[in-house]
Amino acid sequence: MMERIWIVFHKEVVDNLRDRKTVAGSLLYPLLGPFLMLLVFTVLGNTLATKSEEPLSLPVVGAEHAPALVQFLQQNGGSIQPGPADPEGEVKAGNQDVVLVIPPDYGEHFSSGQPAPVRLIADGSRQSASVSIRRAKGLLSQYSAQIGRLRLLVRGVDPAVVEALAIEETDVATPQSQAAMFLNILPYFIIFSVFIGGMYLVIDTIAGERERGSLEPLLTNPVARSEFILGKLAATIVFAVFSVVETVLGFYVMLNIMPTESFGVQVSMGLDAMALILLIAFPMLILASALQMIIATFTRSFKEAQNYLGLLPLIPALPGMVLFFLPLKVQLWMMLIPTFAQQLLINQVMRGETLDSLNVAVSATTTFVAGLVLVAIAIKMYEREQVLVGR
Amino acid sequence: MIEVRDLYKRFGPVEALKGVSFTAPDGRITGLLGPNGAGKTTTLRILYTVLRPDRGTALIDGHDAVKEPRSAQRCIGVLPDSHGLYARLTARENIRYYGRLHGIKGAELEAEIEHLLTLLEMQDIADRRAEGFSNGERLKVAIGRALVHRPHNVLLDEPTNGLDVMSTRAMRAIIRRLRDEGATVLFSSHIMQEVSALCDHIVVIAHGQVAGVGTPDELQRETNQPTLEDAFVSIIGSEEGLQR
Repeated sequence: MMERIWIVFHKEVVDNLRDRKTVAGSLLYPLLGPFLMLLVFTVLGNTLATKSEEPLSLPVVGAEHAPALVQFLQQNGGSIQPGPADPEGEVKAGNQDVVLVIPPDYGEHFSSGQPAPVRLIADGSRQSASVSIRRAKGLLSQYSAQIGRLRLLVRGVDPAVVEALAIEETDVATPQSQAAMFLNILPYFIIFSVFIGGMYLVIDTIAGERERGSLEPLLTNPVARSEFILGKLAATIVFAVFSVVETVLGFYVMLNIMPTESFGVQVSMGLDAMALILLIAFPMLILASALQMIIATFTRSFKEAQNYLGLLPLIPALPGMVLFFLPLKVQLWMMLIPTFAQQLLINQVMRGETLDSLNVAVSATTTFVAGLVLVAIAIKMYEREQVLVGR
Repeated sequence: MIEVRDLYKRFGPVEALKGVSFTAPDGRITGLLGPNGAGKTTTLRILYTVLRPDRGTALIDGHDAVKEPRSAQRCIGVLPDSHGLYARLTARENIRYYGRLHGIKGAELEAEIEHLLTLLEMQDIADRRAEGFSNGERLKVAIGRALVHRPHNVLLDEPTNGLDVMSTRAMRAIIRRLRDEGATVLFSSHIMQEVSALCDHIVVIAHGQVAGVGTPDELQRETNQPTLEDAFVSIIGSEEGLQR
């Protein structure tokens, strides 16, 4: 039996390695995730990093009305520019992140001890301007507080009286968990590579075999259907393993060559974390490959198989998307859902959290068993007469 | 030897076979003649184990094709109606795959492949990939892989369909050669002339039932017709779906 499975396996591997489309697909698709991530990090990293290091470019309209304020801004990292004629239009057009407008009655209010009006014009919907807006606001409240304290002192009041609360912020986000916000999408790409790596092979060996008319003569050989399925499954899994390893290595290289610290977050993902991710991902291989084979036995043509199998990897993406917007606390029942469990666990590894070995064991076992059930179903499907025509 | 016993097969509302029985003896060419849709392909598919009958069975050299398909498969070489090749494998590799699936290996397998390449006059395409082969070349490879384990029973479904004159002649020569080596050859056709030219033994099949059995002489005598082709038409009752 093993010998016949090996013969089928060997033929499918040799045959598909000669197919440029399969090889290119299997080699290129797994790099999609790391590449996209690299792109996001580079763009995001550059904007964030440059914004907080550069002096804040702040156009001021009516600077002559508040020389003391302008001086304060200049001393605290603001680069004061002459204000544009149409400040709101400039901000709307995206030419300026933020513009400060000081009205002529500023001085009057200021000297009489009233709150002196200043106007900060900004576009809150522009992500790239958020750093500038935050810095401008910070500088203004800093100045406001400073003047307020001076006024109290002049009147003989301890400034501490007006501060009812002493707020002390402790940020528990480790550098890893801040970066992981951006990396929440990474686990999905690993799942994606589990599916995509063997996809072309499944299409070729199941739907393609039928479409080119080689299935009927093949089935007249003295080989059990289970042996055909196991041989084809093994070939699929081998391609998928390459795909997953490639993706993980891609992320490893990307995360280690990228200057991720340049935008204030730090991700250190060592080889041990990568090995752990592979270990978590491997139980999904059987499940994904068998599921693809079952679907392919039902399709009538190459094209149809391509359509369905192309959509399949998007299904595990749905819980992954939820995870991206709404980080969940990992619970044991979640480990019972194949692919979702793995996304949670990989996410934990990336965040530098310690894995609960029970979670790992439960997820691996359920996924593995579900995979075996699907293999049994795939064999049953292949044993039906209808396998010759599809459906 | 192939013994077909009372085969019934239904596809949804269509009764494809309604009690088909016949015997294809050793060292003879048995032709399964009938119009399109008569049940020839269904019968052959049951014999080569890709379909299961609703009732009845078939014995191939004594092995039950339904109950012990693995043993039956070892005794047959099949050229089905669809006989696609693996386009990225060479002719030799296509044949080798089937040989290995039959458990033949090493020098024995390579010698057998070489023998078939010579027999089928395809040494020149032996190490070319199958993509771009002509119909005739593809058929040769399909025959080669069907015979690589030296089967005692050879089943061919419309083997000359779509072939040019040269390839048809070559095909007939191979069929006769197999018979002369003692094999049981069973082939289906809707072309009367082909069956007349080749067969030692004829099974006429129509509407899922056997309409007549015998040697060409016997069929002609029984129906009292001047030619074998007229005999066929008289047995089936119509010329529809047949070809002269």
